[in-house]
Amino acid sequence: MKLIFNKILGTAAMLGLLAVHAPAETVKVGILHSLSGTMAISETSLRDVLLFAFDEINKSGGVKLGGKSYTIEPVIVDGASNWPLFAEKAKQLLEQDKVATVFGCWTSVSRKSVLPVFEKDNGMLFYPVQYEGEELSKNIFYTAEAVNQQATPAVDYLLKLGKKKFYLIGTDYVYPQTTNLILYKYLLLHGIPIENIGGGFRKDDAGNVISAGKYTPFGHSDYQQIVADIKQFAASGDACVLNTVNGDSNVPLFKEIAAAGLSAADCPVVSFSLAEDELRALPTKDLVGELGCWTYFMSLPTPVNKTFLANWNGWLKTQNHSGVVKEKRAVDSPIVLSYDGVYLWKAAAEKAGSFDVDKVREVLESGAVAFNGPGGKITMQKNHHATKDVFMGETKANGQFKILETYPQVYGEPFMLKDLTAKLAQKK
Amino acid sequence: MWGAEEKSSVPFLEMNVFSKLSSVLLCGFLLHGLKAGAQEDPRLRSSLARAILSAEGEQQSILGELGESGSPVVREVLNAWVRDSLFAYDLDGIKIPVLLDDQSDAQGKVRALRVDDGQVLRDANGTELRFQTADLTAVDTDARLRGLIQQTLDAIALSDPDPNVRRSAVLKLGNSQKLKNVGVLQSRLAKEAEKTVRKSISEAVALLELGESDPSKQVAAANQLRRLGAIGSVASLQSLASRSTAPAEVRKAANSAVRAIEDHLAVVNFFGTVFRGLSLGSILLVVALGLAITFGLMGVINMAHGEMIAVGAYTCYVVQNLFGAGFGFSVNLPFHFLGHPLGFGLRLPGLNATGAWYESYFLFALPLSFLTAALAGLVLERTVIRFLYRRPLESLLATWGVSLVMQQLFRMFFGANNVQVNSPRWLLGHFSCYDVSLGYNRVFVIGFAVLIVFGTWLLLAKTPLGLLIRAVMQNRDMASCMGVRTGRVNRLTFAFGSGLAGLAGAFLSQIGNVGPGMGQDHIVNAFMTVVVGGVGSIVGTIFAAIGVGAGDQILQQLTGSPVTGKIVVLVCIIFFLQWKPGGLFSIRSRNLD
Repeated sequence: MKLIFNKILGTAAMLGLLAVHAPAETVKVGILHSLSGTMAISETSLRDVLLFAFDEINKSGGVKLGGKSYTIEPVIVDGASNWPLFAEKAKQLLEQDKVATVFGCWTSVSRKSVLPVFEKDNGMLFYPVQYEGEELSKNIFYTAEAVNQQATPAVDYLLKLGKKKFYLIGTDYVYPQTTNLILYKYLLLHGIPIENIGGGFRKDDAGNVISAGKYTPFGHSDYQQIVADIKQFAASGDACVLNTVNGDSNVPLFKEIAAAGLSAADCPVVSFSLAEDELRALPTKDLVGELGCWTYFMSLPTPVNKTFLANWNGWLKTQNHSGVVKEKRAVDSPIVLSYDGVYLWKAAAEKAGSFDVDKVREVLESGAVAFNGPGGKITMQKNHHATKDVFMGETKANGQFKILETYPQVYGEPFMLKDLTAKLAQKK
Repeated sequence: MWGAEEKSSVPFLEMNVFSKLSSVLLCGFLLHGLKAGAQEDPRLRSSLARAILSAEGEQQSILGELGESGSPVVREVLNAWVRDSLFAYDLDGIKIPVLLDDQSDAQGKVRALRVDDGQVLRDANGTELRFQTADLTAVDTDARLRGLIQQTLDAIALSDPDPNVRRSAVLKLGNSQKLKNVGVLQSRLAKEAEKTVRKSISEAVALLELGESDPSKQVAAANQLRRLGAIGSVASLQSLASRSTAPAEVRKAANSAVRAIEDHLAVVNFFGTVFRGLSLGSILLVVALGLAITFGLMGVINMAHGEMIAVGAYTCYVVQNLFGAGFGFSVNLPFHFLGHPLGFGLRLPGLNATGAWYESYFLFALPLSFLTAALAGLVLERTVIRFLYRRPLESLLATWGVSLVMQQLFRMFFGANNVQVNSPRWLLGHFSCYDVSLGYNRVFVIGFAVLIVFGTWLLLAKTPLGLLIRAVMQNRDMASCMGVRTGRVNRLTFAFGSGLAGLAGAFLSQIGNVGPGMGQDHIVNAFMTVVVGGVGSIVGTIFAAIGVGAGDQILQQLTGSPVTGKIVVLVCIIFFLQWKPGGLFSIRSRNLD
């Protein structure tokens, strides 16, 4: 622990030294990610891309406010995959270091843990990872995919392919539970009868469905029974699986699916937690043709994306801070949305002419701040979510996605559940 | 291999030795349908080539025609297309679709075979062109096109020589809900000789005829489905039974068919659960058998057992990579020497094998993973455990430390992420027996468990070494007095137990994750199985493994939730151990008192 801290402090100090050569004024910006513990595998990449974005901005003259240009000085803290520690570190960033804004968090639980701190100290947090919605804090800006920018477009695509039966499966925690409940209502609203939604339901005393789909704990490895269930469900054809299983449980799940002969052509699986980075650890040969839906794919052929990838890989080679992996890096949606967040904040601060949280928020909420990022144009909305392009892709043997469908400029809507429930009631 | 700046690759085995070896071995394995297809109708080949390069609308019609041909060449090319292994080569501005030959030359390059005439691709001067897979770009497909290709493949599959292929093609057509397919199926029925396929065809025809407008035909179809016990038709029958516009007699027939099929389904589920219980039990057994020896017989509380499993799994990964593109790693040490970062690395060239030869890697990986893990066990025994035979609690702490060290070593050499281990195709399929689907990998693990239990029994009961092992385990001092070299027996026993863990790891790599923490996922199950079975009793371990596996699956089936089943099993185990602390088969020996 201590060693890691020292290294991080060292890195921070080194970057701080670099800043001495740049224009005199600096602005402190916080990075709040797990650099140790279980989540470090995913979150270290986000720290790297944030440092890359800061370097890029600093090299091109920093953040320009009222004729002055400010160099970004990162303050890196380690949440250590420990949720209460995230709150403490957030407090340190806001009260001790007095940073202008913070980029951070991966898991929903870490975000929920820091939320009261940001609200109390009136800080600003940019959150980059797809999540379940049903939250809106005036102190958090969600560059992340909302459910209607990932799960429901995927369902739209499957409906278009003529799928009639949907099996819901997920890991047992807040993101899959909420997403599946939304999907269940969304499917009902699109005329799918309840018996064609597989995985089982749990109802409350009043008979309302409170949980839809089949759930397994984190790290579950025996999917025989569930896959046999899916197979019987799919026996009558036109079926597909909506998969919110998280982490390495996907390996036994997909191996079982392959062994059971459920091919992607007959019964495709669309996974909401598998991006390019996760695919590196999966047997991609067994996954060819399975689907994914994100607001960024590494295989996007746009010039902006190509330049971004080239610059990013070039920058990585020059870096020596602890834990940086220099080769064979996969870029995926959370990485790009982190990067986009930095530029959105920069644009807003420049427009506001101040780093003051209230003033920057006002500009971001005006809906006039946009950035042309690697995944296309991203615009911050009044409801703190972002309008962006959504892509439907299918997995190839090399672990990349082939883009099948683009939904341009989808408005991010965090509160789908209430809306869908109301619409369903109206329909009845 | 230690030294400043030695991060670059160190050739370990000369590449061409490997390649020569591989090409000699390859000859036996390969010979493919493409060459046989050279006498095929040339028009078929040219329309195939046209289909690959033409636009979407045209593709549809050409593929339709190709479906009627039933040609194996078409099947092979279309299959390659779906799997992204059909390539378009730009020969002087003309795109030529090619397949790559299986046999690679000394440089790891292969010849390309033209789809349009089946000949080897040559340039303008007539010299053969050779490629590596990475040099070429695959012909694009997307979901819709693959659907089309799949349809064509289904049509071809309807006249495939393999009855299983025919059967699944029939089922697909039966689910299409298109009455026009009845004709296609009936014409196939006239030619079909195989019993199971005939059954599937009648099922598919009946399913399609449920959609007829004539009520008497619908009733006949429903009755037919009831006789056949067609699981896939339940939904269609149910919707027919609940359709208020349908005539009463149709609804009645549909209802009774649904009931009959549901009874059939209950039987299928029962046998399915038994099979899944057996397979889960076999996994537990394979994982616990090594521990039954090191912990059960020798009394060493070996917390590093899980890491021995990981050693086996990583061996499998390395062997797989050696059969593929090669394996390499480089480790940077957190030290500096005169300003240079210290590190070391190794690169082993791969065989670049393809096809059946590549997929056979697993057969080589199995004995190797046994040997590697046995070797690791031997080292562990020599360096740590032999000092602790009389101090079980210290051995717990020491082996736990070893397990942490080993996990960190895996991270250093293979990275913190899980690694990819691809299953050979022959472990991925399944077959159906009375509607119960039996995955090959599951059948394999059951057979595998039987085999290693038999081998272990043979070793312990029928060999002189086994006799010595049993003697030493029962009373080490007495055996020593009788002239048994107890140190050597301990060493071999521990190595054997670790080797069994390695075998378990090789197998687990086919159904689950391979990563630095994988050992931790299995160690608890392994100890649980050994303790429930009775420490010191291998028979007990077998019964405990099968019992826990079957119990888990039955409860999962009954409760419909994978978690509840597990909880109930664990609670039962707690009560069981209160009642019988010695486990199923408790052994009383002085050694264990």
